[in-house]
Amino acid sequence: MTNAVPSAAIEIRDLTKDFSLNLRGIKLRAVENLTLTVPEGQVFGLLGPNGSGKSTTIKIILGLLDPTAGECKVFGVPSRRVDSRLNVGYLPEAPYFYRYLSGMELVKFYARICGVTGKRLDARVAEVIDWVGLSGAAKRRVGTYSKGMLQRIGLAQALVHDPRLIILDEPTAGVDPVGAAEISELILKLKTQGKTVLITSHLLAQIEDICDRVAILDRGRLILEGNVTELVGQRDRQALIVDPLPLEQLEELKEWLATRGHTLNAVEQPRARLDQLFLSKVSRSPKGGKE
Amino acid sequence: MSPMANTVPFSLNRLVIVAGNTFLEAVRQKLFNFLLLLAIALVASAQFFREFNFGSSELKFISDFGFGAMVFFGSTLTIAATAQLFFSEIENRTALTILAKPIWRTEFIFGKFLGVFAVVGVFCALMTLLLAGLLYHRESGLMTMHPEAFEHGRIIHYADLVVMGMLQWLKFGVLAAITLLIASFSNTNLYTVVMSFFMLVICHLQYLARDAYAQVASVPLRLLVQVLGYVFPNFQVFNLADQIGVGSGLDASVALHVVVYALIYIGVIGGLAVYSFSSREI
Ligand SMILES: Nc1ncnc2c1ncn2[C@@H]1O[C@H](COP(=O)(O)OP(=O)(O)OP(=O)(O)O)[C@@H](O)[C@H]1O
Ligand SMILES: [Mg+2]
Repeated sequence: MTNAVPSAAIEIRDLTKDFSLNLRGIKLRAVENLTLTVPEGQVFGLLGPNGSGKSTTIKIILGLLDPTAGECKVFGVPSRRVDSRLNVGYLPEAPYFYRYLSGMELVKFYARICGVTGKRLDARVAEVIDWVGLSGAAKRRVGTYSKGMLQRIGLAQALVHDPRLIILDEPTAGVDPVGAAEISELILKLKTQGKTVLITSHLLAQIEDICDRVAILDRGRLILEGNVTELVGQRDRQALIVDPLPLEQLEELKEWLATRGHTLNAVEQPRARLDQLFLSKVSRSPKGGKE
Repeated sequence: MSPMANTVPFSLNRLVIVAGNTFLEAVRQKLFNFLLLLAIALVASAQFFREFNFGSSELKFISDFGFGAMVFFGSTLTIAATAQLFFSEIENRTALTILAKPIWRTEFIFGKFLGVFAVVGVFCALMTLLLAGLLYHRESGLMTMHPEAFEHGRIIHYADLVVMGMLQWLKFGVLAAITLLIASFSNTNLYTVVMSFFMLVICHLQYLARDAYAQVASVPLRLLVQVLGYVFPNFQVFNLADQIGVGSGLDASVALHVVVYALIYIGVIGGLAVYSFSSREI
């Protein structure tokens, strides 16, 4: 496949989406004049408060909704076309799947829809189920899965045909911190494989750790976009972490700094983050329950 | 769309995968369980009517009764199953996941159709088999009791019975397509079911209106009724004989015409369903 502009995985231009709320023509503008480019090979975070239009934007990218105005292209192909979805994997928010299938059957079903066939089919299905840590529960009906397990099987289904672009709408909602950390790891692994990931999440700390670039939406409008390091890095500051200092030594240190033209801005007791504490205490292994 | 847009060709394979999954849902959600009850009820009532000792007209009675049950429960099953299997995708938002794959909405809709059609096909096959079994059993009994009434051999045409079963299946196919068309633009399961039953009644009774207006009405009104007669399929054409499987045999060429009639309606109505679904916001 040859693309004229190979660098953009998703190109959104002047996108507006109105929902008509009733027959009298009252409309709700969910997305307004959005222009956004997701470069290939990056992890891109789409942030914003509830109802700011993140999921709506994603559905337009996938051709599930038609835009009211503007255009949207995936790898240079307009979203309305079926072939724009050839290289895309999608995990919807609060996913829910055919509850009468087992996890294995479910992933296999989607794999076959995406044209994975023959010997590769079973191997690939087993592989992605293992990646998301559900091997132990693969033979159970999806109807018996917990919320976090649904997210994981959803992730498996999104990855099964080895897409170049993966769109994850709140992949960590309802997932415990251990699972969330594992999903972050998985996303970083995808990035090293050269995949593009578009992710929405409310866990800003997590987004910050894995995203190269973020865009923030508010009431359908883009209010901020940029590289994470540029946005949150404070280059004019540095933190030193030392053993507890007696008061007089601290005063000495201040003086020492002052003679060199520096000031000590803050003295704090560093605290372990609760999620790190959780991660160190909770066992990581048996995921997804036993058979 | 540009002419080169079509790099994902229409795939019968994907359509069949969707159909298979739809059929599996019907099986695993135990949609077929009611069949067992129905079969028991049928056999029991056939036993019950035996008491009246109808003689060989009893066979006609069983046959009519059996087909009546097939038409009634088959229509109900078709409408309920189509609406349910379609709306379970919408309400559980599984449609979101599947339509985000490289799949045509045509494949999705016709896949759903084919899945339902298979479900109804199993129903028709089992009902026909059951009815044939009942008739054969009773006919054999009557033959030993009243050999004089059967001097030319068996009076039931079992092959015709099978043909009639298949024609009913096709009729349910048209009904499933109509239900799918209504479902494609409606928001609720209940609305779809009610509207589809309404359509079922119209399709069964439209010939009455056509006959009545053919004589009396003015030309424009008569034309309108004629046109409506084409818009709504006429379900009466699927009942080839008054007495099913009994008496003179079926005309094969008429049966073939009916098959073509059904396939055309399924194609056109299915196409409309695809068209209406293609702009639906998921
Ligand atoms: N089908 C619809 N019909 C009418 N309004 C809708 C529809 N879908 C979304 N909306 C509205 O569009 C706006 C944006 O919704 P969207 O789901 O995109 O938000 P979001 O950013 O994903 O929020 P969250 O963080 O809660 O998931 C909301 O005000 C919502 O009510
Ligand atoms: Mg959302």
